[in-house]
Parts: sequence; structure tokens; C-alpha cells
Amino acid sequence: MGTRGGWAALRRRSLSFFLDWLAWGYIAYTVMYLLNHYWYTVYVDWYGTLKLPSWGWPLVVLGTLELAVWSRALGRSLGLRAFGLEVTCPSLGRRILRAFLWHVSVLPLGIGVWLGRGEPWHDRLAGTRVRAVPKEPERPGRRALATQWGAMAAVLLVLTLWLGWLIIGINLQVLGRRAPWAAGIWRQMLRPDFRYFLESDPAFALRNLPFSILDLMVVTIFMAFLATVLGAAVAFPLSFFGARNIMGFSPVGWAVYGLTRGFFNVFRSIETILWAVVFAVWVGFGTFAGVLALTIHTIAALGKLYSEQVEGVSPGPLEAVWAAGGSRWQVVRYAVLPQVVPSFWAFTLYRWDINVRMATVIALVGGGGIGDMLFYYKNLSDWPKVGAVVMVIVAVVWTMDYLSGRLRERIT
Amino acid sequence: MTGYPDGFLTDPPSLSWPVVRDALARRAGIAGRHLAIVFLDVVGLAILWLLVTYIYAWYGLGSIAYTLVPWWAFVLGVVEGAALWESFGRSLGQRFAHRELSGASGVPTGGQRVLYFIGWHLTVLPLVGLFFDPPWHERLSGLRLGPPVERGEAPRPWYRTSSGLFLAALLLATAVAAVGVTITTTNLRRLFTEAGRTAKFWRAFFSPDTTILAASGRDLVVTIYMAVMATAFAVVVAVPLSFLAARNLMRGPVGRLVYTVLRGAMSIVRSIEPIVWAIIFLIWVTVVRAPFAGVLALWVHSIADLVKLYAERLEAIDPGPIEAITATGAGRLAVLRYAVIPQIVNPYISFTLYRWDINIRMATVVGVVGGGGIGQRLYHYLTGNLWQQAGTVMLLIVILVWAIDYLSSRLRAKLA
Amino acid sequence: MANPYLVVENLTKVYERGQVVALRDLSFSVEKGEFLVVIGLSGSGKSTLLRCINRLVEPTKGKIYLDGVDVTRLSSARMRRVRRRIGMIFQQFNLIDRSTAIGNVLTGRLGYTPAWRALLGWFSKADRDRALANLERVGLRDKAYVRADQLSGGQRQRVGIARALMQEPELLLADEPVSALDPATSHSVMQYLEQMNREDGVTVLASLHFLSLARRYGTRIIALKDGQLVFDGPPGAIDDTRFKEIYGEEAEEVEVR
Ligand SMILES: Nc1ncnc2c1ncn2[C@@H]1O[C@H](COP(=O)(O)OP(=O)(O)O)[C@@H](O)[C@H]1O
Ligand SMILES: [Mg+2]
Repeated sequence: MGTRGGWAALRRRSLSFFLDWLAWGYIAYTVMYLLNHYWYTVYVDWYGTLKLPSWGWPLVVLGTLELAVWSRALGRSLGLRAFGLEVTCPSLGRRILRAFLWHVSVLPLGIGVWLGRGEPWHDRLAGTRVRAVPKEPERPGRRALATQWGAMAAVLLVLTLWLGWLIIGINLQVLGRRAPWAAGIWRQMLRPDFRYFLESDPAFALRNLPFSILDLMVVTIFMAFLATVLGAAVAFPLSFFGARNIMGFSPVGWAVYGLTRGFFNVFRSIETILWAVVFAVWVGFGTFAGVLALTIHTIAALGKLYSEQVEGVSPGPLEAVWAAGGSRWQVVRYAVLPQVVPSFWAFTLYRWDINVRMATVIALVGGGGIGDMLFYYKNLSDWPKVGAVVMVIVAVVWTMDYLSGRLRERIT
Repeated sequence: MTGYPDGFLTDPPSLSWPVVRDALARRAGIAGRHLAIVFLDVVGLAILWLLVTYIYAWYGLGSIAYTLVPWWAFVLGVVEGAALWESFGRSLGQRFAHRELSGASGVPTGGQRVLYFIGWHLTVLPLVGLFFDPPWHERLSGLRLGPPVERGEAPRPWYRTSSGLFLAALLLATAVAAVGVTITTTNLRRLFTEAGRTAKFWRAFFSPDTTILAASGRDLVVTIYMAVMATAFAVVVAVPLSFLAARNLMRGPVGRLVYTVLRGAMSIVRSIEPIVWAIIFLIWVTVVRAPFAGVLALWVHSIADLVKLYAERLEAIDPGPIEAITATGAGRLAVLRYAVIPQIVNPYISFTLYRWDINIRMATVVGVVGGGGIGQRLYHYLTGNLWQQAGTVMLLIVILVWAIDYLSSRLRAKLA
Repeated sequence: MANPYLVVENLTKVYERGQVVALRDLSFSVEKGEFLVVIGLSGSGKSTLLRCINRLVEPTKGKIYLDGVDVTRLSSARMRRVRRRIGMIFQQFNLIDRSTAIGNVLTGRLGYTPAWRALLGWFSKADRDRALANLERVGLRDKAYVRADQLSGGQRQRVGIARALMQEPELLLADEPVSALDPATSHSVMQYLEQMNREDGVTVLASLHFLSLARRYGTRIIALKDGQLVFDGPPGAIDDTRFKEIYGEEAEEVEVR
């Protein structure tokens, strides 16, 4: 087990085993859920469905463990398939023997694996071997559904959809029953009322100013513009700190790199809308909160894209500048920048497109923009005006999408 | 080499349909390019004027206004501006179209430019003159709007060209206007004074409220299933539609019509955010079935997005295998099964995973309007000012989104 | 004398896009069992000519008789029945990369397989045996279950030949079958074509880039220039002046051994 290859192989084996265990655990969960749902074993709302008795959990854990062991011994399981492994086997008897021996070899703290030196006891004694699937097979492969992993994947899929159907409470009848009602709304929306397109609606005021649809659409576009410009301006310098090929020469470099990338990743995974909630509380409802939310998310998203571009530059020109005695920032200026500027523009335009979309709905949580009007009319159930606003949004988003697409084509 | 064989152009009688068609097409092309340039210049100047008045009205008058002058004066000013710009500088439209005015003997003289300016009105405004080759104003002034010529001198820096100055002014005006309408001093002050308000929130990130973890965990499960169901059902619809939305598979007039209608409809559906769809579906299936409404919203948006992604991939497939399978005498379905499908399976799966990843994010967002799942819980906490709980839920969302992002990108890397 | 096997009469092809005239008023005929080599610069219309014969490309004008039948007038269903007697191999091999070698070879039987079986991928036992036999014949029996994208260029082209063999063709169209291969591999691939021609009596129409290969394998050569026939005769008849005529003044003959 001393070799590096041995470790990697062991890691793959264990991961594939845990994947099998997980899959069986999931199947057990699903089946229990479904049993409970249809036969009311324990009546609680669905949240409480899996309240097993205290002895139930160990049983489930052990039961799924056994299932994983046996499924791996008797066929090519999902875990083996996912990690490109297979068990070579002389006979069914040996496979069964392997499953029994597994308990002796692995359950006591994996003693048989540690002492087995690359070939665990259960394999050694049963005469089986786990190996990577060879690239050049000599036999025809079986159809996926006829293999164990194929069947298991199919079962997983069906169970997931079934469970999902129940958890979500999908109800097609209601969709049909209320369809005429929804159609009424659609019909009203499709007969839009553009009365307040140019003229401001006296009933709708923000900051003591009456607004029209056009006014708010312009504001929305400004929001997206400002957020994109500010975001790109901050993300641009940051992206070099988040590029390994620029930073990664010293411990300090590594620290800066890690921090920057961590910042990008955390801030990116909080959606713009959620940021808008935070900022609405912080600076008060309105467009400024929206702009800040859009900007923060733009910085994180663009920063990640930019730094990946910087990491992907071809090293030749960099070496040339290094060799000529250039400093780190000269390398950036003369070797990196010329390579990345076109894709930076493309990403920025793409982001601008996304920001326009987001800016149209960010008002829902207090971020300002055209959404304010949309939700205002929606709360009044004034569908013709909602229709008008939605149509303007579609037109603007579509145009921006088209323009940014065309410009990106030209740049790249 | 024109690509035409000898005699192909002279052989047919001089007024045959192809000749007429070619001549018409060429003139329409010339006129179209001129008009596009004029259009871009006029729109550019109009936007600049609107922005400047917008800023003036906002800061000077404290209201929103766009032109401040009668509309005819506005139109006249913009059109004259465009004419001047095109005659005496290199306008934005000319730059975008990679065109430049040049005389027979190099740089245009002032007199020629004045002639061009006068001729511009006679040609462009009634439109007829544009359909001549060369158009009237070019003939009158002896100038030609052609590809830029290399003159062997250093090009002027962008800030000394008229289009560069224009772009700078436009960007500056947009920025000023944007700052004006979106940032107010009160808000700006609060950004620095009220940071404490969010302190509770950030604290929750490091000391989560453990009592709500179990319940939030179950909501997370709902969110994941929302994404799974929406993606799964979207795939069922999007795969067949994608074949109808691929330009290379939809030939002939009917096919082209189907393609155009489908792509147009999909891009309209796509430009409405899932949140708005969720609002519509919440009314349809009632708030009682919140997760269902969320799934429907994600479903609709995913269909539109997936059809676009799938169809673009279909348009990029290698035609070689199609040729080869057709040549064996196979039928249309067999060609699809053996030449097209093997090429698209992996990319389709990869796009589906990508969309699933997006749907997880969107599901958290859709919850905020009442679409069920973890987003809805978050919204309850936020509207109830339960900051610590809200922070905890956001922490969970971050972890989930991160995990799914990692998983989906690993799987996609494997598929590639 | 009986009618020639393949007759091409006044064939013209104009591509709609770009109004390119790819073939101009081309006429020639091919006897059964011939190995006809088509040469010409790239862009001279070789691919277009071969594709017109099995109507992967619709001819604009002219007639093509195969065994006395005018294929330019056939309905698409009847054309499919004609196509399955015409094998074709390609410069870029045009294999299905994600499928195994034998999977690719089996697609050669699609013209003979009912649609529903084809969709399910249920080829008959006889077809599978035949596929293995054909792979054996091109020396790839041991690679039968390897994915096509794992094979080398020469191996891929041999899979292409096996696919064509599955059709039991009377006519084989080979569009620059060796242009993507190195010289040694080229000869091995050409020898399989020669073998089909000699042993199975398959009429072969192959377009080639190298005159040396054309001289070595062809029983007759036709040359195209800008879509027109500029030479038709035995390999020996192409001398230096002819060569300059076909390939232009600057051309220099390159040998492939
Ligand atoms: N699909 C097509 N559309 C338009 N023109 C084409 C198309 N295919 C080929 N051509 C043109 O037809 C001419 C002949 O092409 P081709 O038959 O491929 O020549 P070769 O195979 O001898 O290189 C070329 O000028 C080529 O540009
Ligand atoms: Mg060719």
C-alpha cells in the first residue's frame, strides 16, 4: 500500500463503496417514505415522515450497508460504474464468498484492507480482483438496462420523480380546473393598457415623484448600467489577485489568491435578490439598494470569470516578459492584458445582459426599478397594466439580449 | 475570380430573372448599409440628447423629462446633427460598418464635404437616391463611402476622433444620469451609518440558530426536489422541441416558419424572469400549493432556456456521419438515431445538469415570492425581522448552492 | 455490347448558396468492374460528382443511369433502395465516434433493416456475424468492441471500409479515402479497395489527390478542372503536359510510395 498508485486506487474503491451505500440509503428512504405515504404507518405531515423508532436508524444503516456489499459482490454496481471499476470474478460461488469475507476483512476497522497491501484479504481469499475497466474490451458490452448499475439508475430515477411528485404536491387537476380562471387573467394581460406608458400614474409615486412605465424602465436600465460598470471596475483589479499564475509564487501570494477566490465564491452563491434584501434593510428601500445588490453579485461573478481567463492565458508571452527582466506588474500589463481584454469585454456585456434581467424583478424585495410598478399593479390585480409592464420588460430584455449577443460575436 | 464560370454572367439574356434579382439584391444591400449607418447615428445622437436633458431636468428642475423642446425640433436637430456628423467626421455608424469617406484623390476636401452634406438631404431623406449605384450624394460630391484606406500615417488617438468623443460623452452622460436617479444622499449616508443594522445578520453566519436547522433542512429538500422536477419535466418537453428549433434540421418554407416561431416564442418566454412566472402560477394553482407553482415557473423558464441551448448544439453537429448513414440507404429515423443522437447525448446531459444547477438557485429565489421551499422560509424570517434565523437560512442556501455547483461542474467535466 | 454500368450525362450542379457552379455539363460512363480514379485540384468538384451519384447532393441538371435506371428521377424511398447497393467511404471517415467499431460497421446494414428494429438497435444474428467477418477481413477483429474515437486514422478508415462491405455493394464511392492518412497507411487502405474491386467485382469510383496513387491503383482515370472533364483515359496516358493542364502550370508531381 506504500505506493501512490495504491493510495489512489484505495481512494477510488472507498469512494465508490460510499456511493453505493448512499444510493441504497436513498432508495431505503424513498421506499419508506412512499410506504408511509400510501399506508399511513405513522400519520404526521410529510415533514415528520421519517420519524423512525429509536432502533430503526441502526437497522436502516446496517441494512443498506449489507445491500451495498452484496450488490457490489454480485454484479457491477452503480458505484463501481461511476468510478470506472469492475470486479473480475471466476464464479458465482467466489462472489458470494467475497461478500461473506468482506465482513471479516473490512468491518474490524478495515484491518484486512490495511494489512492486505494493495489486495485486501477478502479479494485475496476469494480470488477476485477489483480493477479499472480496460480501455479495449474484448466482449460486447451489455445494454445499460440489463446491467445492475443501469437497472439501479433507472430505479433511482423513477423513485426520485415519484417522491418529487408527492413532495411538491403536483396536482394536474387543479391546473385544469382553474385553467379558465387563469385564461381570464392571460386574456386581460394580452390586452395591455398602455395609458401610463408616457404619462405618469398619479396613484403611483416613489420618492414623492410620479412615474410612468418609461421612466421606470429608464431607471432600470440605469441601474443595470451602473451596477455593471461599478462591478467590472472592481472585479478587474481583483481578478489578478484571484489568478494562480500571477499570485502563486509565494505563501503571501497563495493567501491572497485563496482569499480572493473564497470571496468570489461565497458572494456569488448568494443570489442578487437575497443581496437586495440585505441592502434594502441597510440603506433603505429603493434603487440604491438594488444597485448595490447587483454590484456585489456582479463583482463576484465577473471576478471569477475574469480570473479564470487570466489563468487560461498562454504562458509563452509571460515567459518572454519574465525573461526580459520584467516585474510582475509589467508581465500583467504587457503579456496578460492583451490576451484577456476581448474576453473581458465579452463577459462584461454578458453580465450587463443578466443585470438588466435581474433589475426588472429586484423591486420585489425593495430593490427599485420597473418591478415596483409590476408588483404594484399586480397587488391591485390590474392585469391589463401588468400586461403592459411585462411587455415593456420583454421588449427591453430581448433587445438588450440581442444587442449584447451581437456585440459579443463581434468582439470574440 | 468571382466564383462565376466564364460565360455564366454574359450567356443568359441581359434581363433574365437572375440578373435582375442580383442587381436588386446588390442595390438593396447598398441602401440597407447606408440606412443602417444613418439609423445608428440618429439613434445615438437622440439618446445623447435625451440623456443630457434628463440630467438637466433631474438636477435643475427636480423632475423627469426627456426632450424639453417640441418633438419636431428634437427630430430636426438630431437628423441635422447626424448629417453634419456623417459629412464632416467619421460617425459612429460609419465606424461600426467599417466604412469611411474618401475622395478619388485621398482625403476629402472641405468643399466636397459640404457638397456631400447638401446631397445627403436630397438622397437620404426621400430614400430614392439610395437605390442608385453610387447613391446620389456620393455621385454629387465625388466622395465614396468605402472600406477605410491605409494612408501610412499613425491613426489619431480615439479621443480626437468624433466617434470616440461621442462615445465618451455618451458613457459619461449615462453614468451621471444613472448616478443621479439611483443614488440619493440619504441612501448614501445610510450606507455608512446604518451598517450596524446588518450586524445581527452577519453574526448569524457564524453562530447559526440551531433550533431551526431540522425544519430548514427539510425545506432544502423541497427546494432540491423543485429543481429536479422542473428540470426533468422541462427536458421531456425541450428535447423534442429542440429538433424543431434547429435551423439545419428545419428546411423548406414550413420548416423555416416553425423554426422562426418557436425560437421567437422561446426567447420571449426566456426574457420573463422565473419570479414573474411564479407570480402568475401562484394565482393559477393558488398559494396553498406553493411548491407546485414554483416548479411550474421554473419549468416554463427551463424549457425556453433548454430549447435554446439544445438547438444551438444541434446546429453545431458534424454533418459527416449524417452523410455516411444516409449513404447506406437508411431511412430518416435511422439517420436521426445513428448519426444525430449519438452526437448530442452528452452535450444534452451536460446542459441539463447546468440547468439543474441554475434551477436550484432559482428555486431559492422563486420561494421569495411564495413559491415554496427554503426561499419561502427565508422570506418569512426576513419580513418578520428575524435576522438571526434569516442569516442561518442564508448560510444553508450558500452551502447548498455551493455543493450543487461543485457537483454539477465535476459531472460536466467528466462528460466533456 | 451491353450498356455501361454507370452513365453520367450532361451532369451540372449549381450550389444555391454563392451561386457556385461545381460541375459543368459532365458526361462519362463506367463499365462494370472498373476502378475509376477521379483526380483534380481541391474545389474542382470531385466530392460533388461522387455525391451526385448517390444523390447526397441533388444534381441541378443532367441524368445519371445506374444499371439502366435514371437515379435522378427516383422518389426518395426508391432512392434509398438504390443507395444500399452503393457503398461510400469518406475522407474524414464519418464514423460515429461514441459507438464501437462493430456498432459502426452494423450501420452498413441499416438499408436492409426494418425501421423499428433499426431504432431499437436490434440487428439480426446474421448481421452481427457478418459484421465480425468483415472486421476480420480488414484486420480489426480484435478491436471490434473498442470505441471508434480510440482508433487510429488508418483503423478508422478500415472500419469505414467494413461498413461499406456490409452493404454488399455493387458500386463503391470513395471520396479521397486516404487524404487524411500517412503514406504507408494509405497503401494499406488502397489495397483493401483494390481487393474489393478484384475479388468481389465491385465497381470503384475513387477520388484521389496523388497521381502516383491513381496510376498505381486505377484502371482508368478521369480528371476534373473547375467542374469540367479535362481528361479521360488509361493511367499511362497522363504525361507531363497533361499533368500541367490538370493541375496548373506551377504544379510539381509528388510521389507517394
Ligand atoms: N454545400 C456547398 N455550398 C456551396 N458551394 C459548395 C458546397 N459544397 C461545395 N461547394 C463548392 O463547389 C465547388 C466544388 O467543391 P467540391 O466538390 O467539394 O470539390 P473537391 O471535392 O474537388 O475539392 C467548390 O468551389 C466548393 O466551394
Ligand atoms: Mg472534396
